[in-house]
Amino acid sequence: MTETMTATPLARRYRRFVFRRVIVLALLAAGLVLSFLADAATGPSALPVAAVLHGLLDPGSLDRSTSVILWSIRLPAAAMAVVVGACLALAGAEMQTVLHNPLASPFTLGLSNAATFGASLAIVLELSVLGLGPSVMVPASAFACAMAATLVIQGLARTQGAGPDTVVLFGIAMVFVMNALLWLVQYVASADALQQIVFWTMGSLARATWEKVGIVALVLAVCLPLSLRDVWALTALRGGEEHARSFGIPVRRLRLLVLLRVSLLAGAAVAFVGTVGFIGLVGPHIARLALGEDHRFFLPGAALAGALVLSLASIAAKSLVPGLLLPVGIVTALVGVPLFMALILSQRRGT
Amino acid sequence: MTGGLTLGGLTAGYGRRRVLEGIDAGPIPPGSLVALIGCNGAGKSTLLKALAGLVAAAGAAALDSYDLLAMTPARRVRLTGYLPQTLPQGSVLVAYEAVTSALRAARPDLPAAEAERRVQAVFDRLGLEPLALRRLTELSGGQRQRIGLAQAMVRRPRLLLLDEPTSALDLRWQLNVLESVRSLADRDGCIALLAMHDINLALRFCDRTLVLGGGRLLADGPPAALDGALLRRAFGIDGRVETCSRGYRIALADRALDEGAWPDTEGNAS
Repeated sequence: MTETMTATPLARRYRRFVFRRVIVLALLAAGLVLSFLADAATGPSALPVAAVLHGLLDPGSLDRSTSVILWSIRLPAAAMAVVVGACLALAGAEMQTVLHNPLASPFTLGLSNAATFGASLAIVLELSVLGLGPSVMVPASAFACAMAATLVIQGLARTQGAGPDTVVLFGIAMVFVMNALLWLVQYVASADALQQIVFWTMGSLARATWEKVGIVALVLAVCLPLSLRDVWALTALRGGEEHARSFGIPVRRLRLLVLLRVSLLAGAAVAFVGTVGFIGLVGPHIARLALGEDHRFFLPGAALAGALVLSLASIAAKSLVPGLLLPVGIVTALVGVPLFMALILSQRRGT
Repeated sequence: MTGGLTLGGLTAGYGRRRVLEGIDAGPIPPGSLVALIGCNGAGKSTLLKALAGLVAAAGAAALDSYDLLAMTPARRVRLTGYLPQTLPQGSVLVAYEAVTSALRAARPDLPAAEAERRVQAVFDRLGLEPLALRRLTELSGGQRQRIGLAQAMVRRPRLLLLDEPTSALDLRWQLNVLESVRSLADRDGCIALLAMHDINLALRFCDRTLVLGGGRLLADGPPAALDGALLRRAFGIDGRVETCSRGYRIALADRALDEGAWPDTEGNAS
């Protein structure tokens, strides 16, 4: 460590600054672990955190029914909350950066509307291909529609030079088109199908299985390293598009690439859980308030914050109304907004 | 002569609209500070952007033994540092991160420790250390402009392209910034092209002035060659250049000419 011997005051100051951010990241991660355990412990039949820990470390120690509750119901749902929250918030963070827009989220481009339309279509038509039932076809159709919507926007944006305003405008157009199609489907749907559509739209973690968790986790595992490879370009973009271009960053290509990643992340998340859109907006903002916009910290921070908020929402969904499991999409905003407001207010006092 | 910058028949524009027409500028030796002077719309910014690779350009632009126009953006940013006219936008990035990203995004090959040394060196050189850990949103326009300059200088380019680098600065920092650019050119032998509206600063610090008008080069020479007649052609004013008691040459604008008396109005470039 000869580095530290010759370190200038500026180098020392910056090192302390980075250290604080690492601490914040560690705190977020620790909070997420606690929330995950609490989520697994919460539910209709009481399961103390100690038992959850026991069951995780030594699965053989639990009796059979507890083991089934823990491993087949609680843990997949708790894990799903974590990976979906991380996916949506990471997608939102990248989206806000490349579109220079703090209001952007994965759903700005009509992704959730497209996914909802896809899911509704599968529900109403009772789609089944190759003998695969609705548990596969509904998410598959939702994902396919979300991807199709993105590809259309990509194609259109490419012809127009892929500026941020163009992308947002096409996205808003897509929201309206997809909503119209969704209403059309709902209009012709039977009462039973309509109820299923509404329930799907509210978002639920109860449908989680290990396979679904695995798929979403895989998408996250593919996209996160690609995002981290672009951290410096994305950070530079926060100083202004013209400046970033002058550093040799191919901004338009980067924007299209990020949009593709975002739609994969959000498409996978929405397909299995339904619409929990608020996470993609609030996760990045929490990370920005706590960690700033150096994307080395901002992107992982956003993913952790999103995972934490959805995990807390999952606990709230099970405990707000005793004996009733609320759809997590309803609870997300109710839990996320107070957290968000507290952060904003504490920052105000700090400066 | 192999070193330096040579422009031959450089044309540039946006889409089908040509803004620069056949700019020729003989070899500009290493270590030169060159002022680009001209009225609004004369093509100063476009010339800088063309050399930075941000607008389509044709013709020849040779820097040392490199053909600038034929280079990929990734290679060109190793040689050029461009400061746009717009200030870095207000974000919650701290100044240190903004400058670091300008280096690391352009030079992914640099080891982190070396990148850190270079970033610290540029903060030291521009006197920006007190601002290093402040957020861009908290900085004034002039402070952000200096951060922008640090972003352009941190790659240690051979060619600095500065679009009105002192437009947001107070008197003290105008001198400070131009002195740093001057000393960088003297020490490292890099060339700096500066689009400037303040002709007196240009006369004081630069070795050479390129006067642009309507997308063409009106004059290329030492600052001493700038006189009333050239001011008239370039800006459409009655003006004069006089020597002050300290020996600096000072340009004075007396009166704007009537529209009809000055054919070279802005917009002729298109």
